[in-house]
Amino acid sequence: MSSLLPLIEKEIKDLLRDPRIYIGLLAPVLIMPIIGLAISAAMQSSIETISREGVKVAVIDLDGTPTSREFMDFIRSLGLNVSESSLLEVEDTIEELKGSDTRVLMVVPNGFESNITSFRRAQVDVFFIIKSMGLSSIGAFSVVESVLNAYSRALVESFISSKSPEVNPEEVLNPLTTISHTVVKDRILKISPSVLFNQFFMSSGIIVPVVLMLVSISVAQIAATATAVENEEKTLETLLTLPISRYSILMGKLVGSAVVAMFGTILFIVGLIVYFQSIFSLPIMAGEDLTISLELPTASFESYVMLFVSLLIAIFFATSLGVIIGALSSDVRISGSLVGFVQIPIMVPMFLVIYGDARSLPLALQLFIYALPPSYPMLIAQSMFFSELPFEAILGIPYSAAFTVFLVYLTSKLLVPEKLLSLQHKLLMRRMKSKTMP
Amino acid sequence: MSVNNSVAVDVRNLVKLFGSFKALDGLSFQVNEGEVFGLIGPNGAGKTTALRILATLLLPTKGSVKVFGYDVTSQAADVRRIIGYLAEDAGAYRNLSGLEYLSIMARVYFHSKDKALEAVNRAVDISGLGGRIHDKIKTYSKGMKRRLQIARVFMLKPKLAILDEPTAGLDVVHASYIRRLIKEYASRYGVTVIMSSHNMFEVEYICDRVALINKGRIVAEGTPDQLKTFWNASNLEEVFIKVVDIE
Repeated sequence: MSSLLPLIEKEIKDLLRDPRIYIGLLAPVLIMPIIGLAISAAMQSSIETISREGVKVAVIDLDGTPTSREFMDFIRSLGLNVSESSLLEVEDTIEELKGSDTRVLMVVPNGFESNITSFRRAQVDVFFIIKSMGLSSIGAFSVVESVLNAYSRALVESFISSKSPEVNPEEVLNPLTTISHTVVKDRILKISPSVLFNQFFMSSGIIVPVVLMLVSISVAQIAATATAVENEEKTLETLLTLPISRYSILMGKLVGSAVVAMFGTILFIVGLIVYFQSIFSLPIMAGEDLTISLELPTASFESYVMLFVSLLIAIFFATSLGVIIGALSSDVRISGSLVGFVQIPIMVPMFLVIYGDARSLPLALQLFIYALPPSYPMLIAQSMFFSELPFEAILGIPYSAAFTVFLVYLTSKLLVPEKLLSLQHKLLMRRMKSKTMP
Repeated sequence: MSVNNSVAVDVRNLVKLFGSFKALDGLSFQVNEGEVFGLIGPNGAGKTTALRILATLLLPTKGSVKVFGYDVTSQAADVRRIIGYLAEDAGAYRNLSGLEYLSIMARVYFHSKDKALEAVNRAVDISGLGGRIHDKIKTYSKGMKRRLQIARVFMLKPKLAILDEPTAGLDVVHASYIRRLIKEYASRYGVTVIMSSHNMFEVEYICDRVALINKGRIVAEGTPDQLKTFWNASNLEEVFIKVVDIE
């Protein structure tokens, strides 16, 4: 242990001061809030433009009746900036509008009034003129659609009131009130499963596995780079002649890389929180769904402990893979090209777990997921809020611990220059052969 | 320099194969305690392989190698406790300061804080880096890095220092400084040194005894004066050329 501490200290200091590492760690905490603020500012400005100027709409009134004029007054009253087109041909009007900032053309055809008054379906043709796929364009189009829906609803309410003045149109339009409840564990929540699913999907369903995946990948990359640098600079050769065990050298690297990766993850989460706060602070995004998080079920303390333990095991597993890649690479360039292989056992189970229920997958895929330690924190995160932890996740902890200890043992056995040099030589020969092959 | 007659390094019939390539082909030599012993030879002669085996980094294919009586294969941990190894072109952790690097290496070696601190002070003195010892290693020149590495080896006062091409690639000033360091501290701390070099003049200056190695075998061995006299040469380079020609 006394030899291990200076090795861990060396690892952490050397990694955190390496621009290749700290720039990567700091990037999310700097870039994500900037992206969030930029998106937020763009959306805010679009909302302000729309609310200040109103959406400009040109109307060709081919009906020319009091009802069509009422229609125009109605949409004007709801904030649309309506102007009547002097042209009667759609193509000519669209051509004219292309040079202006009016993006919507409505055509009220002949027979509009007669259809409405005779309770037949009336028609309005709407032409959205796309000049860009920016937020302001999309916002303007959704405003127009909402206004048209409001007109349609107002017509229905007016019909109901004219036919049956004693009836509340709202009750006719929504004759059935549904109050959804969702039962989770021993709690009954007054929200629909879809709302709950959206909440879950954004939190433990997506964000947690993605964060877990990023931690695992970054820890593997850090460990691979750190070990390859040791090879490149021949510092590993020096370390291996010191009176310390190979196991201590490996543990120094595993713990050092894991600490740095955890630190990077904290920075990433901070960046992610600031990003989401920037986006969801906007009035159009801060919907009702986002205020129900307090109603969500909570996981047990044991589940959190299991999640933490499984995460720790997954990190050590990924770090060991990274060390193996780094040890087999005679320089950082080679390790950079090989480290992609480590991502396979981390990313594949993550996607399988996110997009499917593990138990419903074909047996081969299930076995693949359960064979890999990085799957378990994802499986636990997915079920810890909604049900008891599945038995396979519980059994997976000792299994993945044993598997990881075995991998760490194998890795420490690999840290023998005799083996490393011959394996590095073989890899180099293979790469050279593949490069010279036509 | 005090040289005891007790054997510090005993290499007998050492063979090392890399696949079908024979890097060492029945290498045998002895180094006495307190001696500075040089292995000289061209590239690919087997110098680095022999030193890596002594440093417990590689395993012999055949033969026996003992360091102060410890077998490098079966008693590798004991060997590591008494050696200091400097690899050819060995780097250090670029983002640590020279002082941090020495401190970490000393703490790995010595479990007592006082002994570690004493070793670090010794190394700072040996390196001669002065105030630059607090700077990050990535700001050091090649010569400064090598001085740091030599300091790292000698601060441990190892029984055997294994130095692989300690001056390779250095300019004349730094190479000369490193040679003086090796000579001075090997003598002051009574460290047995085995070093490899291409540079025959360097070996003649530092080493008490040398072995000429070619194609994995010792082709001549003795003190520089003995070799020059025997081969009727004015320097070791001439000796080497004559020996290799005969081979």
